[in-house]
Amino acid sequence: MGFVRGLKCRECGREYPVDPIYVCEFCFGPLEVVYDYDGIKKVLTKEKILSRPQNLWRYKELLPIDGEPTVGLHSGFTPLVRAKKLAEHLGMKELYIKDDTVTHPTLSFKDRVVAVALSKAKEFGFDTVACASTGNLAHSVSAHGAAAGLKRYIFIPATLEQSKIVASLAYGPNLIAVDGNYDDVNRLCSEVANKHNWAFVNINIRPFYAEGSKTQGYEIIEQLGWKTPDAVVVPCASGSLLTKIWKSFKEMKEIGIIDNVNTKVFSAQATGCSPIVAAIKEGTDVIRPVKPDTIAKSLAIGNPADGYYATQVIKETGGFGADVSDAEIIDAIKLLAETEGIFAETAGGVTLASAMKLIDSGHISKGDVTVLCITGNGLKTKEAIEGHTGEPHHIDPNLKSFEEVLKKITSA
Amino acid sequence: MKTRVKLTFPQNLIKEPVLFTMAKKFDIMPNIRRARVTETAGEIVLELEGSEENMNSGIEYMKQQGVAIELVEGDILE
Repeated sequence: MGFVRGLKCRECGREYPVDPIYVCEFCFGPLEVVYDYDGIKKVLTKEKILSRPQNLWRYKELLPIDGEPTVGLHSGFTPLVRAKKLAEHLGMKELYIKDDTVTHPTLSFKDRVVAVALSKAKEFGFDTVACASTGNLAHSVSAHGAAAGLKRYIFIPATLEQSKIVASLAYGPNLIAVDGNYDDVNRLCSEVANKHNWAFVNINIRPFYAEGSKTQGYEIIEQLGWKTPDAVVVPCASGSLLTKIWKSFKEMKEIGIIDNVNTKVFSAQATGCSPIVAAIKEGTDVIRPVKPDTIAKSLAIGNPADGYYATQVIKETGGFGADVSDAEIIDAIKLLAETEGIFAETAGGVTLASAMKLIDSGHISKGDVTVLCITGNGLKTKEAIEGHTGEPHHIDPNLKSFEEVLKKITSA
Repeated sequence: MKTRVKLTFPQNLIKEPVLFTMAKKFDIMPNIRRARVTETAGEIVLELEGSEENMNSGIEYMKQQGVAIELVEGDILE
């Protein structure tokens, strides 16, 4: 048996049983999973966590399943890299990269949320899963769903890049390419979710799906030696990841695994889609929807469902936000790769470039133990830096030609 | 048909009866569930009920007035 008490509306507090529902019938507020923390406290200890396999299910009591996990048994527990060279470059004392570029099986943090969503979907008895995605989520639902033996319907905008389409098709889902703009895809999927009895991971399974993000926070705590950082910088699309990392920190304190939480939470967005950071900078919690225009496609959510809640976390923790241009994103991707050997997708560039601004502005102190959440692999968006890297040195297949080039390289 | 939406009103429209005018003009029944007005914007979360044709016209009318209309569940495409 799990430790979920039920679902609760984040707006009016009305409680609901554990069902594949996502919105309060009364005030249309989003539903959140609530747990029996007293019960969890009695059974979940550091020792128990440490005795378990290194995947995201080592914190299973804090995840919304009733039985044993069935999906994503190799997902999570990605490295927390002490970024010494990057720290030196930025003048920071202690900087870490939470490196979800190597999440199993599709190289983005979506593997965490989808592992939880599909485990829950199977518990609910669904045989079909679905999502609407421009990339990472499509890959993860396609892959995890294949291994779990689930039928899959993946909705994408028909204009999506061919490389991303192929990366989903490899797993053999039903890929539905919608001729329409992003708003059309959003509206259609909402209608499809209401009509078909499917587990739509980010619609009717959303309260459970979103909980998977907490595992990134639990891992940060464990890998830092059972403490929270002074500052954490989180890329924001819907804002869900940011709110869940904060929830994970508070939960670890609630169940007595850590004694205190003194972390400032920071939001990172691309200037071309920054409704959350704009609200933070204006000092308001009203999120004004925008039309995204950025190379950071995985963060291009103009109407973020959890934007308001993200602003509340930032306010509560004394954090702030920064937004960065496409050029700054590209420079940051290259800086991370050249200093730490980690090739991140565009969202990673957003996180690092935003962190640099927050350090420059003094919002993050150079002495703060800081964690940057890097959420996806650069191989997924390599077109973003095409034309912005160096060129190969072309040579003839003989030693003389190589020596000539070598001389040029070493004398440069 | 019924649809659940979030309306965001810019400051200059907060005092205007945009929702009432739309409801009357296009025979749409609004059922407000949540609302909030701040110094800079107004938000209403509500259900709209009417014929599909009227719904589309009504939503288009509000967009033209400058009201942002979004799904209550936020953007699904991610």
